[in-house]
Amino acid sequence: MKRSLLTLTAILLTATWALATENRWLHVKVEEGGEKAEIVRINLPLSLAEKVLPAIHTKELHEGRVKVSEAKFNDVDLRAILDALRTAPENEFITVESAHENVRVAKSAGNLLVKVRDGKEKAENVEVTIPFTVVDALLSGGKDELDVLAAVRALGAIGDTVLVTVNDKNSKVRIWVDSRNTID
Amino acid sequence: MPAGAGTVAGGVGVLVLGAALAGGALVYDMGSIWISVRAKQTGGESIRLVVPAAAGPVALWLAPKKHVREAAKEARPWLPAIKAAAEELRNCPDGPLVEVTNPHEKVHITKQGGALVIDVDDPNETVHVSVPLKMVGVIAAQLEAMPEPERGKAASEPEGSVL
Repeated sequence: MKRSLLTLTAILLTATWALATENRWLHVKVEEGGEKAEIVRINLPLSLAEKVLPAIHTKELHEGRVKVSEAKFNDVDLRAILDALRTAPENEFITVESAHENVRVAKSAGNLLVKVRDGKEKAENVEVTIPFTVVDALLSGGKDELDVLAAVRALGAIGDTVLVTVNDKNSKVRIWVDSRNTID
Repeated sequence: MPAGAGTVAGGVGVLVLGAALAGGALVYDMGSIWISVRAKQTGGESIRLVVPAAAGPVALWLAPKKHVREAAKEARPWLPAIKAAAEELRNCPDGPLVEVTNPHEKVHITKQGGALVIDVDDPNETVHVSVPLKMVGVIAAQLEAMPEPERGKAASEPEGSVL
């Protein structure tokens, strides 16, 4: 019995270690149709972003944190809104429907969901899914900064997730995270 | 031949052989830079160049100090990031990093066996460049280690090697 427990513990520890050190990849795929037909595929190891971000020191980006002036938020208290969203119950809580656009913001399974459907000429559908752990990490820095490095680390800890999809008449954009280093 | 001259000659021989072996090991360890440009038009020129990557840092060492310092000054804010990226990419599995395909050209940037490989295929030419990531890191570190030029001094300094 003791030996079985030890073996089980060893297997669990090994599996946890393997998951923690597994390479996670951020993928971007852009397909443009029409006259400017083009396909762009980007595969970026999250570990690369984790190593590179702290090494960039510019006016706006320092130690993986982006300075965002309050003016950029147009006096909207982003933290307060996100905090309210996080503590809100799981359901649809913002829906804006108009003749041209439908916007739905919801909280589902620990994710912030934003869906925008533009019914005008472009017929654009945008879907954004951001785990709240990533949102929390992004806002874990100072008052006027976004901690991109912490967000990247949080992204590395989540499972396979499609973060953004944009579809319109001429183009498709998909951004997602998984463990594969290729797209197809 | 005086007594002991053979021993000295033997010692020098061992030193030369050791230096040659160390140099060979360094060249082998750093890999090679491959550059190939092939024109598609008939009569167009094609270039093929294979240079030991170890020559990169040496070329930087021999290059005119003024120009290298200027380049280093421009690149300095990005050098730590370039160094970190090169180091981390070496640890990543081989695979495609960026692919751009349109009716006019194809651009592929791939990590392949310790090197960053760039392939461009357009109507005029095909370009293939392979740069060992280790060399990228070494050159970035070399530029980073250079002292920052003092204001007004760089312009008056004579041309010459970096060190």
